[in-house]
Amino acid sequence: MELLDARRAPLLARPFFEGGDPGAIASAMAHVPEVLDATMPFLVQMFGPSALPARTKELVILRTSALLDCRYCIQSHSIAARDAGLAREEVLALRGDGPLGDQFTDRAERALLDWVDGVAGSTGPVPPEIGEALMSHFAEPDVIELTLLAGTTMMLNRFCTALGLPTSQAALARLAEDGLL
Amino acid sequence: MSEIAEAVGDGVLPGRVWLYANYHCNLTCTYCLTESAPKVAKRELGAQRMLEVAAQARALGFTSLGVTGGEPFLLSYLTETIIEMAEMLPIVVLTNGTLFTRARLEEARGLTGAPVAIQISLDSADPVANDTMRGPENFRRVVAAIDALVARGVRVRIATTAEHIDEHELERLCQLHRGLGVADEDHIVRPILRRGRAIDSGLGVDTDLIDLPPELTITADGAYWSPFGPTVHGGRLDTDLLVSRTTSPLDKPANILLRLVQGRARGDDAKLDIR
Ligand code: SF4
Repeated sequence: MELLDARRAPLLARPFFEGGDPGAIASAMAHVPEVLDATMPFLVQMFGPSALPARTKELVILRTSALLDCRYCIQSHSIAARDAGLAREEVLALRGDGPLGDQFTDRAERALLDWVDGVAGSTGPVPPEIGEALMSHFAEPDVIELTLLAGTTMMLNRFCTALGLPTSQAALARLAEDGLL
Repeated sequence: MSEIAEAVGDGVLPGRVWLYANYHCNLTCTYCLTESAPKVAKRELGAQRMLEVAAQARALGFTSLGVTGGEPFLLSYLTETIIEMAEMLPIVVLTNGTLFTRARLEEARGLTGAPVAIQISLDSADPVANDTMRGPENFRRVVAAIDALVARGVRVRIATTAEHIDEHELERLCQLHRGLGVADEDHIVRPILRRGRAIDSGLGVDTDLIDLPPELTITADGAYWSPFGPTVHGGRLDTDLLVSRTTSPLDKPANILLRLVQGRARGDDAKLDIR
């Protein structure tokens, strides 16, 4: 799978390369520039700053990526999660390398992680009591955005895993430094 | 009136839509932008698709068509398809001019009187210099084809692709084409672009977006900014001038192209006169 570089970036993709390497996902999607052009603003909105706290979003993204066993997203979002203030042990627990219950005692966060497990960890409806618990801690717009975030992460998880996208050397170095490789 | 028709009418977008009929060729020219040769991937558009593009181009308000390759006349259905396309829009077909056998020339009678121009490559009035670039016997075959097509009443244009051309050489070429019945306005001289095989041959001038008129170009692999966009280097299709992978319906790439043109900085008009 060729990851396009700035020299080979199609016209619609050029703006995404202006600030340097846009990462493996954008470099792969650049092969279909009209898809990149439509998708990137959506992804930036979903994964970038929004009404939800960065920590909350990273809980969803990293937990979902662990459930779908996406190496690329687990590695990238271990770093993002650390940058959002999560402790190393919290990151390890979200990745399944430690018990979740020990690290996450906040009721809202526990309800959220149960919801993510229901959305990304199984098929079919999420049990109603898990939904009710979530709704008791989060407003309706938050639930919508968190669920869409889990779904979007799942889409990217399968995209990155199926295509075997490589984690950048810089990210690998950072993970090694943090003992998260 | 569509937004595209308006843009064409206002001169914001050129009126011509190009189609890459195929990528394979019976020749292997030293400066070939598409690294064409007999055995390369054909990347054929197909007669049906060519007709669809022509119909959609006309409906959108484009005013003419161009067919290029590879060598389009390697395709058995080409003449018939061109005749049908010309019923929709005027068309210029680029060819190396070496495949006009007796049977092909008979078929070409169907082009007489139609809004079709056959643009044949001839790089020098000197057979040796020409054949060094384009292969043995090229000059003799091309001159015979031009003569035969003109005799059948087909409009012929001659395209000279050259790194440098001095006045004396140009004059010799012009005498040659006039003698063959090709008028001055049907002789085009264009530079070699440093893309495709020209890179490896150390030929041509560097280009970027702003050098090329934004002529919507449809290939089997996607839509491009210019017929000089879907070039091949090292066996790999270039993507730097790719507009979209989606080519149908044609308004999709046409509208993206228009958006790109409108986003181009003011004054960034095409600098090289290459057609
Ligand atoms: S320049 Fe034209 S004639 Fe020469 S190899 Fe390429 S496609 Fe064929």
